[in-house]
Amino acid sequence: MAPTTTTKTQTVQTPPKTEGPPKLSDMEGSIEQNTFDQILEMDDDDDDREFSQGIVFGFFEQAENTFKEMEKALEEHRLADLSSLGHFLKGSSATLGLTKVKDACEKIQHYGAGKDETGTNDLPDDETSLKKIEKTLSDCKADYKEVEKFLRRYYSYNGDGSNDE
Amino acid sequence: MSLRDRFLTLGMHDCAPSVDLPLITTPPEDNDMVLSELKGDPKPSSRANGKPASDADLVPPRQDASLCRIYRYTPIPTVVVDADLSIVEVSDSHLALSGQSRDAWLNTCICDIAPAAIPVPDITSLSGAIRAAIATKEIQLIENIYLSDRRSYFQLQVTPIYEGQTLLYIVFEAHKDTKDRPDAQDRHHAYVNETYKILVDTIKDYAIFMLDTQGNITTWNPGAAIMKGYAASDIIGKHFSVFYGPEDRKNNKPGRGLAVCLRDGRMEDEGWRYRHDGSRFWANVMITPIYEFGRHVGFVKVTRDLTERKAAEGRLIAAFEESSRLKTDFLANMSHEIRTPMNGMLLALSMLTDTELNCTQREYASIIEDSTSILLQIINDILDYSKLSSGSFSLTSDVVDVDTVVSAVVRNCKSCLKPGVSLSYLIPPDFPRALRGDPLRYRQVLQNLVGNAVKFTEKGNVKISTSFTIDAQDPTMYIISTEVVDSGVGVPESAINTLFTPFTRFADSTNRRYQGTGLGLSICKSLAELMNGSVGYRPNPDGPGSVFWFTAKMGRMDTRPPIKRSSAPRTNSSESLMKKMREVAPRKHILLVEDNLVNHMVMLKLLQSFGFERIDAAWDGAEAVKLVKQTPLSYDVVLMDISMPVLDGLEATSQIRSMGVDVPIIALTGNALKGDAETYLAKGMDDYLGKPVHRNQLLQVLWKWLGT
Repeated sequence: MAPTTTTKTQTVQTPPKTEGPPKLSDMEGSIEQNTFDQILEMDDDDDDREFSQGIVFGFFEQAENTFKEMEKALEEHRLADLSSLGHFLKGSSATLGLTKVKDACEKIQHYGAGKDETGTNDLPDDETSLKKIEKTLSDCKADYKEVEKFLRRYYSYNGDGSNDE
Repeated sequence: MSLRDRFLTLGMHDCAPSVDLPLITTPPEDNDMVLSELKGDPKPSSRANGKPASDADLVPPRQDASLCRIYRYTPIPTVVVDADLSIVEVSDSHLALSGQSRDAWLNTCICDIAPAAIPVPDITSLSGAIRAAIATKEIQLIENIYLSDRRSYFQLQVTPIYEGQTLLYIVFEAHKDTKDRPDAQDRHHAYVNETYKILVDTIKDYAIFMLDTQGNITTWNPGAAIMKGYAASDIIGKHFSVFYGPEDRKNNKPGRGLAVCLRDGRMEDEGWRYRHDGSRFWANVMITPIYEFGRHVGFVKVTRDLTERKAAEGRLIAAFEESSRLKTDFLANMSHEIRTPMNGMLLALSMLTDTELNCTQREYASIIEDSTSILLQIINDILDYSKLSSGSFSLTSDVVDVDTVVSAVVRNCKSCLKPGVSLSYLIPPDFPRALRGDPLRYRQVLQNLVGNAVKFTEKGNVKISTSFTIDAQDPTMYIISTEVVDSGVGVPESAINTLFTPFTRFADSTNRRYQGTGLGLSICKSLAELMNGSVGYRPNPDGPGSVFWFTAKMGRMDTRPPIKRSSAPRTNSSESLMKKMREVAPRKHILLVEDNLVNHMVMLKLLQSFGFERIDAAWDGAEAVKLVKQTPLSYDVVLMDISMPVLDGLEATSQIRSMGVDVPIIALTGNALKGDAETYLAKGMDDYLGKPVHRNQLLQVLWKWLGT
């Protein structure tokens, strides 16, 4: 196994840049390991990981499309649509255990519904909501890019027949 | 004094010289006399009138007494009976032959004497000869009487003695058969017999031997010795049942075989026979009765050893079955292998058609879509066919609502109707709403028949009608008959017989407008038979077109089975729970309603890993409501996402409940806020799961609603 000790300290903000195989534990803050393990367990073959890879890559496509739609809705100030788009992406990111993306999407869902980030109190006006969404969306995309990069690397090691660990 | 009484006296005073009664006339010993009678010459008056007239009255008594001694002391074994067949004299020579005493014979009816002592083969031949002698007044001869204790053949001459029309006596004379001076005919017989004997003795592959009337073996050829392993000296005289197995002997198969043989004139049988060393062989046996002058004398038995042939037949059949099975397996495997990439293609295609395409591209895409869906249909047909032909197709017992199925099929086929063709259906108002049967298979047959009708009907109409009767054999069952009448091209006379035969299509000889595998109707036939029904065809009585019908037996259901609403405690360990779930799951029908592709795929995979095989999928609430409407009693549980486009989960739930369907509905929700759960339950849902859905939670909740 390649040593990974040098990367341990910088896991939270940036993905590991070592040459060694990526480990899920390196992404603790972004990926809920139990949930993602459940997806990995669905693979019939641990070597090619066909099913989980299909799901994850499907999610990438879905997320990118959703982001585009969110941006469009943001431009056109369609708050309700933003809320439901947030809810939509929240569902799939939750299923994969991508906690950061999920939390951001939930915020967008609440903001779009005119509530604060916890969904308990009302926000003063649409302007505020849109502002908050704009900020959250860009955070969300950054978080997403991080996990995407990690997962693509993960599957390049684990997805095409090479042994993991 | 009657003749009989007089002879009685004679018998008692054995050879007394005082006997002065006439005993006998001259027996017609020379053949010329018989010959002249045979030639129809008038009876010589000397016999009929002159001689007897002189017997009693003219011949002096002294002479009678000496004449009387003729029959006592003649060297020819002789028995004399009177008209009542009572023995009045028996010669010393005869007593020497039979080894019995005179007392045992005199005054006894000849019919009571043992046949071998007379000697005759049996009483039947004796009475036959006597009857013939009396009727014809001529000498009768019984030949080829074998006396085993003397090891020689005899013949018995039966001479009736008449005085005018009155029968006086019958004289029986036993002559030893003098085989040593055969005449020409005998020589011929001997030659023929010898030839046959050589023939029979030369045959090594067949056992040929004779049985007597009782089934005891009397001859034995070398073929028999080789085949059965007995030497002639071992087996002759034994009963032929020694060749049979104990079971056959217990059932008296040998005896029944002979009886059948006598009744039918021959008997043929195949079965196991046993050799001397106890080994067995598969034999073909032919037994023929042998008659001589209408008298049954025994049987000829020919046995062939078919063990090798039977084994070869067995090998052939096994090889055929193996190759047939391989063919079916190959078909099934290939179809299955093709289906997987086909589904991928279809999916990619539907995604492709969702992108921005120009007109030409769209047209090509739709051609690909049509072709792939036909291909998929063919592959599914072949899979069904191979399952049906291997007998691995099974029915599930479920609730069938014929109305729903028929209207679904009609909806499904409407899009394929040629312009101007109408499609309608008729279900009688008293038709039972719910039946116990397999709705999928019923639908498959109907879909196929209606699909055909629609495909082959260019103008006019297609009508579906259903009726039901109570099964006469089992009053808890209905016989559901469904008829599809069309005004289409009809079926040519020549094709009617092969209509339901796999891989035959009558349409392809003329043109290739109509596509198909030629499996559809044969699948319908097998499915209908699986449902204890049948399929059939008749021409449309009202003009061109066809009437295809099928029947299926379905159980009566007067009351709907209550849907279980148990709340089993969640105490099971997940492993044992999984085991139990895997047993139950294949029989359960699940509806999954989820709009997010990623979640949908993950849920499907989870459910499949639990062993569910029948999972229907809906992508929004409206679709879910539609599916439930089509088969209201079919689903065992519904997994329902809450936020969905078109119609959300809560609204879908309340629509399902308003139809009176109380299937358990489990909410799948990303909103894990307090109070949400109460809202869902208040809206008619039964349970909920928060997202992300965890395997064990899902298992627990499903078990709660599906388990026992």
